[in-house]
Amino acid sequence: MTDDRLVIEALTSGYGETDILQGATLTLRRGEILALMGRNGMGKTTLLKTVMGLIPTRGGRVSLDGVPINGKPPAWLLAQGVGYAPQELPLFQDLSIRDNLRLALRGDRDLATALKIVERNFPFLLERLDQLAGTLSGGEQKMLILSRALMTEPDILLIDEISEGIQPSVVQRIETALKAEREQRGVSILVVEQNLGFALGVADRWAVMKLGQIVDEGACDAASRETVLKHLSI
Amino acid sequence: MADRVHSSPKRGRLLTRHGTGLALLGLLTLALVLLGPLFLDRFTQNVLTRSMIYAMMAITVDLLWGYTGILTFGQSAFFGAGAYATALILTHVGGGAQNFALALVLSVILPMALAALVGWLSFYHKSTPLYASVISLVVPIVLSQAIFAGGSFTGSSSGLVGYPVMKLGAANYFRLAGVALILFAGLAWIIVRSDAGRVLIAIRDNPLRAAYLGIRTQRVQIILMTVLGGVAGLCGFLYANAGRIVAPEIAGFGFGTQMIVWTALGGRASIFGPALGAIGIDYLGAQLSGSMPYVWQLIIGVLFVVMILFMPRGLAGLLPRRQRTAAAPTLATLPDRPQESSKDALLSVTGLRKAYGNFVVLDGIELEVRPGELISVVGPNGAGKTTFLRCLSDGTETIQGTITLAGQNIAGRPPEDVVALGIGRKFQVASVFESMTVAECLRLARATHERPTLWNRASGIHLPSAALDILALTGLDKKLAEPVSGLSHGMRQSLELAMVVAMLPRLILLDEPTAGLTKAERTLIGEVLKRLTQELGYAAILIEHDLDFVKEISQRIVVLHQGRLVMDGPVEEVVNSELVRSIYSGMAHD
Repeated sequence: MTDDRLVIEALTSGYGETDILQGATLTLRRGEILALMGRNGMGKTTLLKTVMGLIPTRGGRVSLDGVPINGKPPAWLLAQGVGYAPQELPLFQDLSIRDNLRLALRGDRDLATALKIVERNFPFLLERLDQLAGTLSGGEQKMLILSRALMTEPDILLIDEISEGIQPSVVQRIETALKAEREQRGVSILVVEQNLGFALGVADRWAVMKLGQIVDEGACDAASRETVLKHLSI
Repeated sequence: MADRVHSSPKRGRLLTRHGTGLALLGLLTLALVLLGPLFLDRFTQNVLTRSMIYAMMAITVDLLWGYTGILTFGQSAFFGAGAYATALILTHVGGGAQNFALALVLSVILPMALAALVGWLSFYHKSTPLYASVISLVVPIVLSQAIFAGGSFTGSSSGLVGYPVMKLGAANYFRLAGVALILFAGLAWIIVRSDAGRVLIAIRDNPLRAAYLGIRTQRVQIILMTVLGGVAGLCGFLYANAGRIVAPEIAGFGFGTQMIVWTALGGRASIFGPALGAIGIDYLGAQLSGSMPYVWQLIIGVLFVVMILFMPRGLAGLLPRRQRTAAAPTLATLPDRPQESSKDALLSVTGLRKAYGNFVVLDGIELEVRPGELISVVGPNGAGKTTFLRCLSDGTETIQGTITLAGQNIAGRPPEDVVALGIGRKFQVASVFESMTVAECLRLARATHERPTLWNRASGIHLPSAALDILALTGLDKKLAEPVSGLSHGMRQSLELAMVVAMLPRLILLDEPTAGLTKAERTLIGEVLKRLTQELGYAAILIEHDLDFVKEISQRIVVLHQGRLVMDGPVEEVVNSELVRSIYSGMAHD
């Protein structure tokens, strides 16, 4: 049995006439945290959206545990245990925190268990369950997005720039939370990040994207910061 | 850094750039309209005259709904007001050249006055689009009820008939309606493609951003509604003369809703689509209602459903998709104009308190910002930082305490007025115009400095060097002709930042402006902000979590914690304080 869980091969996709992804190849292994970095506009978010079936694939393939998943709808992927914490406005602004969380579950039966998971990482959310999500501050909304993704206990988790707008001490807590998920349940996590410190701190491996392709990858060690910075410099 | 183009922008003449094909089409239609009566029978001429008047009405709905986002059921009220003004004068005062002129003038002025009133009631700061739609529904109902209640004066339910009309004959009414339609459609087409047309689309896409660019969105909406009320009244005048009868239904909301259907079927925001939709459906209806009474309504209904399913863009979808202006506009540098340095505070906040019900977000805030200062606001998530910026930029927020900007109390002033005092605000979640290109967004940011024209589009954009730097170092200068909808998160952030800087506000409010950017890009943007404040004397308030970034560019740091301003001091002092350390490494969030 191979340790490769999510395999992306020569993936191409885009919007309108432009191909944003131009043959990206990347593998997410069992129980690893992989940090995907790159300057903005290089296709990181598009990669996640394509894998999640939110944008149609134009070429290449994506497989989950060896089974091709090209063209599968987001709901199917979620049911297979692929979680996704998107970057922009994924919350229902006019619903309460509780309802935002409930919508991610199949029924209220699992709510109590799920709320325990939320409490473990972001206890303040539990004290404010009836507050409307739209009235949370920008950083607090990010924490709710992550909580919603984590509480469904996915096997594979795709996270898009979660540290943005979050105070450093909480970023630290997110790092701890993600590592704990990986230790306890063997979750594979792909984080798209601009915060280099957080990305290299939390991840086991890193990859850099440029113009829709993965141009370099490696294990996180003392030298990786230098290497990645070189790729990101203008 | 990319080379800058220093050429002075030229204004491109729309008619020469896009218009050749269209001018041909216009001439062809004009020929058809003028020669039509030679081969069309009288019935068809009459029906098409009415259809073409309706087509103009559909275009007014398209301008309001398709381009500006105001879903209105009330255009029929202005049409009815114009038609009834005409019929009432001709019935009760009599015919004759003078009375026709009087009827013409009143049929335009009365609906305009009514439309101005409706616009004033519908659009005010924080009114919702739904509210405007409800009012647009109420007005035709009230008007048609008034007509019903008017007894023999208005003819009540049987309407007015048999009044003297202009004796042009069916053929010439056909030609008159046709020429009027061609002129109005051509005018509308030119306006929606002009820079002023972008302002309408900006209001549709993102009214909040438009207001924060200093565009007086309510005023634009009221003027548009007033002018189009006048056009609708003119259509009513034509209708009352050509049709020789007016009935209360033409002022009712049923007719107003029909116009929405024509516009939707024809294709929103395409001018020609709604006009064709109106003519097609009205003509088809007239033909079918004779041979298949009752059933034709069903046919139209089925057609409606089929078109929505298979042609979401309406009839306009049959035409080739409009090509984006191929050539990217040129960027030109505005000379740097340093702000006069002054010891007086540009912004002063005293005793600011903001609460939502019992929930106090901000309390006892005191702050002064002088020209040339860059002040960073740090604090844990949920401390009230974004709310603070909102209070500074929107005088209509209910607060206690006083906020003065450049010596003026901002209380009661909506964002566009506060912007006029010299504030620019970058939102936390990038707020741009989704259906526009990068260049169009940038040009809108300059709308208060360079008045957009109704007739053409400037081919160049004048931007201050700081805005150009931001574009160059994020690569946006190479994407000027690309649609915003295809930009990445970080690029949208940079675009909005460039837009705000392009306005050259005396005080720039920045809510996490570099989120989504790499460290290298942040550093470069930090340099731009530093030059803008320290060298050119602009002031800025910055919300940011990246302490390294903050340390590099700020003069002072203030700390917000649980709604209170707990520290205000020089960079080193604040950064090394116990409090900030606890926020940035400890458990201050709970």
